[in-house]
Formats: sequence, C-alpha cells, structure tokens
Amino acid sequence: MSEPDVATPKSATERRGHGVDRPLLRRRQEFEDALSRTASARGAEAGASLPRASLWGDAFHRFMKNKASVVAAVAFLALLAFVIIVPFVSNEDPYALDFSQAYQSPSWEHPFGTDQFGRDLLVRTALGGRVSFGIGFAATFMIMLVGIVYGATAGFFGGQVDNALMRFLDALYGLPYLPFAILVLAVFGTVNFWTMVVALTVASWFTAARVVRGQIITLKQNDYVRAAYAVGARGPRVLYRHLLINTLGLIIVFVFLELPGVILGEAFLSFLGLGINPPKASWGTLAQDGYTAYATHPYIIVIPSVCIAWLILSAFFIADGLRDALDPRTKEA
Amino acid sequence: MLAFIIRRIFWTIPVLLLVILMTFLLMKLIKGNPFQVTERPVPPAIQANLDRKFHLDQPWWAQYLYYVRDVATFNLGPSLVQRNQDVNDVVKEHLPVSIKLGVMAILFAIVLGIPLGLYAALRHNSVGDYAAMTFANIGFALPSFLVATLLIYFFALRLKDYTHLPTNGWEGPSSYVLPVIALGIYPMTYFARLVRGTVLETMQQDYIRTAKAKGLRWKVVVGKHVLRNSLIPVVTAAGPILGYLITGSFIVEFIFGIPGIGRYYVTSVTGRDYSVVMGITVLLSVIIIVANLVVDILYGYLDPRTRDERT
Repeated sequence: MSEPDVATPKSATERRGHGVDRPLLRRRQEFEDALSRTASARGAEAGASLPRASLWGDAFHRFMKNKASVVAAVAFLALLAFVIIVPFVSNEDPYALDFSQAYQSPSWEHPFGTDQFGRDLLVRTALGGRVSFGIGFAATFMIMLVGIVYGATAGFFGGQVDNALMRFLDALYGLPYLPFAILVLAVFGTVNFWTMVVALTVASWFTAARVVRGQIITLKQNDYVRAAYAVGARGPRVLYRHLLINTLGLIIVFVFLELPGVILGEAFLSFLGLGINPPKASWGTLAQDGYTAYATHPYIIVIPSVCIAWLILSAFFIADGLRDALDPRTKEA
Repeated sequence: MLAFIIRRIFWTIPVLLLVILMTFLLMKLIKGNPFQVTERPVPPAIQANLDRKFHLDQPWWAQYLYYVRDVATFNLGPSLVQRNQDVNDVVKEHLPVSIKLGVMAILFAIVLGIPLGLYAALRHNSVGDYAAMTFANIGFALPSFLVATLLIYFFALRLKDYTHLPTNGWEGPSSYVLPVIALGIYPMTYFARLVRGTVLETMQQDYIRTAKAKGLRWKVVVGKHVLRNSLIPVVTAAGPILGYLITGSFIVEFIFGIPGIGRYYVTSVTGRDYSVVMGITVLLSVIIIVANLVVDILYGYLDPRTRDERT
C-alpha cells in the first residue's frame, strides 16, 4: 500500500471514506494490508512508500511512454472529435442543393470545397465520418460479441465441441470476404445502417473467434485456473472470473485492429455502389462521388480517402501500443 | 510427408461441401422469382415447367445435391439474365483476365517488397529504414481506390504526353501498368513490413552469429542464412494476400474498366443475375481453399515441425 498510512495512520472513520461504510472494501483492504505488510514495512524503513501497481494503471503508464501510440491516440480522438463536432457548429446544410455553388474549390467559406450539387464537403465529410464510424463501431462490437461467445465456447469446453466448432470455422475461412458481404446484403434486399453492420459482421467474425479461443486455451493451462477448480469454483465462474477477464486486454487490442478493417470494408462496398444510399453519405460514397469527378477535381476523392488512411494508421499504432502495454511479459523490456 | 498431404487433401472435401452449402443457403434466402423478368407474372404452367427443369420442385437438400453434382462436373449452370450464356462462359471469358492481373500484381509486390523489407532491416534505425517504413505505412493505409484514381490522374492524364498510358481498358501491356501498380502496392508494403520484421528476428539467432564468427562474407550470410530463413514465414502471408487480391481486384477492375471477374460480379449483383453470383462465389471459394491447401503443404515441406499440428 502506497498511501500515507505508514507516516500518518488514518483513523477507521477516515478510511471508510465519504461517510459511507463499505465493509467489504474495508475487509479487502485489511487483507491486502496484511499481504503487503512486509513489503510496505521495508519501504517505510527505507523512508519511501512502495507504489501500488494495478494492471490498468501500469498499462496506462506504459502506453503513455510509447510516443508513436500517444500521437496515434491523439490523432484518433481528433478525427472522432472532427466528425462529431463539425455538423453541430457548421451553418451549412449538408443536403441542400445549389447548382450555382457546384464544384467550388477549397476556400475560407468551404474549406473542403463543394460537390456536384453545391453541398459543403466539410460538413458532408464529417457526417460521412459519423456513418463510417457508426457502422465501424457497431460492426466491431457485434464481431467481438459473436467472436467471444463462439471462441470462448470452443476454448472452454474443448474436446469434441472445440473440434467441431473449429472445423466449421476453417471452412468459413474459405469464403471470399467482399463477395460474401455482398451476398448477405443481397439476402436483405436493402442496404441501410443495420443491414450493412450485419453483412460486415457475418463476413468477418472468424478471426475474432479464433483469437479468443486461442487465448482461452492458453489461459486454461494456468495454475490459478486449476486452483480455482480445486477450491470449488464452478465452470461459469472460472470462465468469467479467470478466463474472460484475462482475455480483456487482448480483446481491447483486437478492437483497434478490427475497426479499420470494417470501415474499409464498408468504404469498398459503398465505392462499388453497393452501400449506403444517397443523399446519406459515408466516406466510401464520398470517395465514389470524388471518383466520378477525378479528372477535373481530384481533391474530392482525396479528402475521404485520407480520413480512412488516418483512421487505419492511428488505429494500427494504438493497437501496437496497447499490445505492448497490456502484455505483462514485455513489462521489464 | 505423403500421409500429411493425403490427410490434408481429404480434409478439403468437407470444407468445400460446407462452403457450397453456405453459399447455396444464402442464395435460397434471397427473395423474388428469378424467372419473373418483367412486371407480367409468369404463367403457372411455364413456372411449373421451369421449376421442374431447375429441380425447384424438390426439397432444398435435393437441390443442394444437384448443385454439388454440377459443381463437381464443372458445370455452373445457365445465366439468368443473359439467356445465351452459361456461367461457365462467363468464367472462361473473365477469369483469365483477373488471374493475369492478380499474378502480375503479386510479382510486382514480391520483386519490390522483399528487397525493400530486407534493405530496411539491414539498415535498421537508419534514415533509409525510416523512409522505407514511412512509405510502407502510407501504402498500407491508403485505400486502393485512392491509389488507383491518383495513378490515373497523374500518369494517364497530367503526364499523358510522356507516359502514353491509357486511363482504362485491358488491351496490351501499356494498359496493364497502372492497374498492376494499384493492386500491387498494398501486398508490396505488406511484404516489406513482414520481411523487415522476420529479418530483424533472424539476425538475432545464434546461427547468424556463428556464420559471422566463422568468417563468412556478409553477403553470403545475408543471402544464405538470413534471407532463406526469413522467407519461410512469408509463405503464410499467402492467405491474407489472396483475400486482399480478390477484394482489391473488385475495386481496381471497377476503376480501370477491366473486364475481369470482379467487375462482372458487381454487375451481376446489381442486375440480379443470381446464378452468376453464386457460381463466381463458389469459384472464388474453391480458389481460396485450394490456395490454403497448397500453402499448408508448402509450409509442411519447408518447416517439418508443422506437419503433425496441422491436419
């Protein structure tokens, strides 16, 4: 315990904190005090208090030490802030048609210029980003959900269940990504936010399932899992308290690897004319608009594409930093 | 080794059946009557005849077995929209174009990507390394539609008088240049990053130190020991790269107006030519599965330790 309890011992009432009695917390603290007494006593003798290490606090510190990842995190948040804030502060109507303003080059009034209908591209890029991010986050969430359930089932039960589930997954790996997503959209017969999310999820949940299963199987061999069973913990509790909780770091890393892939997938579909319908836009449909006018106004396709590239790179470096930060094995390095 | 190969080949059969089943069931779920081309309803007698001809009067599993039989005999059925064309004709006409594009793109990626990665690793933490990796990261992140469009804009429009490259089409070598670069950039950066990583790892190995210590020339160490051992993991990249090539060829063929299988697929989806859609999906699956089979066998040959783990 690092708190000043060695130098100025707190009274019992102070410890309760904010006047609320939390007996469980207190008992846990006493327990932890007892565990770390020798260490903190030694620290007190040396005149220094030992810093208390928690996984997430440690991970945060390690992440902040990685400059590339911090820059990437700032870039990622800046992009997110851009797509959220701009439509609120802009006076431009993203859907109003004004042909006298068509294809204006970037200026103070229209920093990103205007499209073929005279719509301001700054606000349309931000709105398109909302759709792209929205689909990206929703599909990533669904992919993780399906992947965790499937992968944890296979990894936890093992044996024949694992075998059957993994054989099925092997077969799914034979499906081509983009055509498969297009097929699922064709089954729905209509393209909107949610059908797009489902199509992208169905086409790309396999890797998440495989990664989670691998991690669960590795974790299952740890002594603390055997110990948990030995003291009488039941399956669901072990699965939740010891296996899934310890997969969390990996899952967080994986989210940042999956998100750009999903957003790129949506952009490809929209670019081919199989995505979100106008006048709504995503970065993919904006790129498609830009493509039709590339000969005269090449910057139009550059804007949404750079947004996508920005997202891909920042998410990639965030994932890189998180992986190092959350993996205790690289702690000393 | 032989037992491993045979086991691995047998395992692809249920995988193929399952993939065809998935595609088949998805197609069954698509609503609408494929024979109703105009607003006019199809007369019941004709509908009944058509149903009988295409086995639509039988349960779904029987239809599935018929389809598997057809696929096994390389017959993907007729096109629903273009009455005088079979799906086989479509494949024969458009697949060679896509394969040619894909093979050229992958050669471009290998020829430039592997030396780039090797260079970056050998000059680790130098300006050259940073420049190479910055380039690789940018190429990795830029969507292929931007790369393709910018290539057209600069090399086929602005610099037309110097390059004489066409903006689209697929006639003669000059029309191959830009699509191959557009499709090859991503795999190239992929190889460069992968090779850089594996080379850096290999250089830490004891046998490299031994090779250096016994006085081998540096060129020989790099050529014989570093590069050879670094290229084995590159084989595993074949899976993701093939997946990317299929996705990327859809975009590149669309932009350059190349008459390949990807562009035809998109046209068929918007034109609701579902037998073509299904045929091409199954075909692409077969290509992926066979490629995975080849990669596994190749990897088993290169790295004997993996033979027992992979079935």
